[in-house]
Amino acid sequence: MSTRALAAWSASGLVIALSTSNPIYRAVVLLCALNLLLARGRRGSGPRLLLAGIGIAALVATLVTLLLSHTGAHVLLRLPGAIPAIGGPLTLEALVFGLSTGLGIAAAMLAVAPLTLVSQPDELVDALPPALARTGAAIGAALNLIPGTVRSAAEIRDAQRMRGWRARRVVDWPAVAVPVVLTAIEGSLTLAEAMESRAYGAAVRTHFGVEAWTGFDTLVSATALLAAAAFLGLTLSGAAPGWFPFPGLTAPAVSVPAVLCCALLVLPSLRMRP
Amino acid sequence: METIAFAGLHYTYPEMSARALDGVDLEIDSGLVLLSGASGSGKSTLLRVCNGLIPHFHGGVIGGGARVLGHDVVRTPTRELARHVGFVFQDPELQAVYPSVERDVAFGIENLGIARSEMLRRVAGALDICGIGHLRSRAVATLSGGERQRLALAGVLAMRPRLLVLDEPFSQLDPAGSRALLTALDAAVRAGSTALVAEHRHHLVAARADRWLLMAGGRAAESAQPRAAATLASAPPRAAPPASGLSWRLHRVSAGHGRVPVLHDLELAGGTGEVVALTGDNGSGKTTLLRTIAGLLPPLSGRVERRPGRIAYLPQNPSALLHRATVRSEVEWTLRRTGSGAGAGLLMDQLGLGDVAGRDPRDLSTGQRQRAALAAVLAGAPSLVLLDEPTRGMDGAARESLVVALARVAQGGGCAVVATHDQQLVAMVASRVVELRDGVACEQRSMVVASR
Repeated sequence: MSTRALAAWSASGLVIALSTSNPIYRAVVLLCALNLLLARGRRGSGPRLLLAGIGIAALVATLVTLLLSHTGAHVLLRLPGAIPAIGGPLTLEALVFGLSTGLGIAAAMLAVAPLTLVSQPDELVDALPPALARTGAAIGAALNLIPGTVRSAAEIRDAQRMRGWRARRVVDWPAVAVPVVLTAIEGSLTLAEAMESRAYGAAVRTHFGVEAWTGFDTLVSATALLAAAAFLGLTLSGAAPGWFPFPGLTAPAVSVPAVLCCALLVLPSLRMRP
Repeated sequence: METIAFAGLHYTYPEMSARALDGVDLEIDSGLVLLSGASGSGKSTLLRVCNGLIPHFHGGVIGGGARVLGHDVVRTPTRELARHVGFVFQDPELQAVYPSVERDVAFGIENLGIARSEMLRRVAGALDICGIGHLRSRAVATLSGGERQRLALAGVLAMRPRLLVLDEPFSQLDPAGSRALLTALDAAVRAGSTALVAEHRHHLVAARADRWLLMAGGRAAESAQPRAAATLASAPPRAAPPASGLSWRLHRVSAGHGRVPVLHDLELAGGTGEVVALTGDNGSGKTTLLRTIAGLLPPLSGRVERRPGRIAYLPQNPSALLHRATVRSEVEWTLRRTGSGAGAGLLMDQLGLGDVAGRDPRDLSTGQRQRAALAAVLAGAPSLVLLDEPTRGMDGAARESLVVALARVAQGGGCAVVATHDQQLVAMVASRVVELRDGVACEQRSMVVASR
């Protein structure tokens, strides 16, 4: 699938996930995004790390809401009032709202994840409109520095280990951290020099990589953008209400047209196979 | 119109008091011009003036006249000069802009706004000229140092510059890569381009060079007739001295990154008192072998034996080691960590670092930095020394001091394994030469037979 079509799909998923507080719609977006990642995502540590990061972000959001929102009829636990900020009742409503918030964060992150996990940085750069080509090239180069820095950190750790370095105390770490930071800075400067020396910014850029745009790309983009627009319309008109569990817990209302809008995001993964 | 016309050119880096260039008068019309000189003599600085990185990128104080292809360097931004001046830096690891080979070669011509059909032709042509057409779909991260050096050159050749400026382009190239580069330079010069090449291994270029310039003290002067001095002062590898004991041994070792073996079923050993030169094409697995011997890379199968004692390992990138404020404290840090009671002064003097002992190692030239890293790993009398391309950026004097240091390791009952493309170094120091071909070791001068 074209990177541009994927970007349109991601933008639509992001709009839906962020424009509602209803956990049902968020959950549908999350499942569609997860399905796409499993259908097309790269193997290896990248997806695993990303999923772990999303899980942690969702957990933190849940805990923060639970600990800071002391509202709700069903009290689960009371922390001593002397504890600043988190002291007071911890309620079931706050826990459920926290879970919904975490679900929203996870859905939004997963909607964008295919762009970084499925596409290479240079494909993203190529997908940008001409007006953003220079900025895109700089961003692509900067993204390329990240894996380089990770590799360099491993090399530096190995090299210092051979000089007798052992990570026993905090004071030992500068022997690795300092060269990692300095090498990253030097790498950035050399890369900037290399880009400048290769005429970066001398003319309007052309692109080596040209993506094929298929009928399926048109279908995915149009469906995703229409789904997001329709969902926004339903939300603004009150036909697809949000959800708020305070003061007492209630089940979220479900609008079938809104669920269908969210479910349309499953379209790209129907055609993709690992 | 001269390609390069410098008149009374002087330059001082920001926050430095001494001039890096001190009155350079130089005119270059055409042809292949070799630039040599000791580490820190100002070669890289002079080259950077050619495409305007000095002064536009680095700042500092510049004076005198500097014109390149008719452009006043001080008034013309680098990105404009880069339309006509192709520049390859010393550190190929840090030059790749994009993660894939083909895409990275195209970066420069994308910036020139070349039509895609022409771009495809140029990328394919540049990759072929540099002998890396087979790598076009590879990820840059998986390339060896020499392959990256060829990639950097391909990226510049694709731009078809009128002036080619190359800083130590042979430092990590295997013989095939060196030949490919020389052929590419010849072709570019025949097509009307001018090439200015700074290179310590000047025997590689001298035979083809039209002029030979020598940098010293920030000034450039005409050197001897290049073609007359083109022969490599080489000697066959030294006869292997009898090894008094085993230093390390690989038993049927396969090793590589991930699950893909680069080395296959290797049976190889090194004895005490030996200096083993490890040669082979770019990407043949020299670094993998060194890391396996060092214990940094567990073998996929087989067994590695090492005699007890400290192992010194110099990676290709010397910056991986340097983290202290001065060269002296780098050496002292290793001595402390290894519990050695020796002083740092003698080793630094042996490696010609006495004058820069108090300087920040990251402020030094590439060759000086390489020596500082060497001093940092050789401190504390290691019993096994593993060096990966140690002569990168080193001038002749520094190479001599490396030879002496390696001889001391061998005489002291240690063993050294040196991965290098530098045939002069091999001739000067090696007691054995082992060549890696497709992950298999071939003994060139036999003491311990090594093969599958």
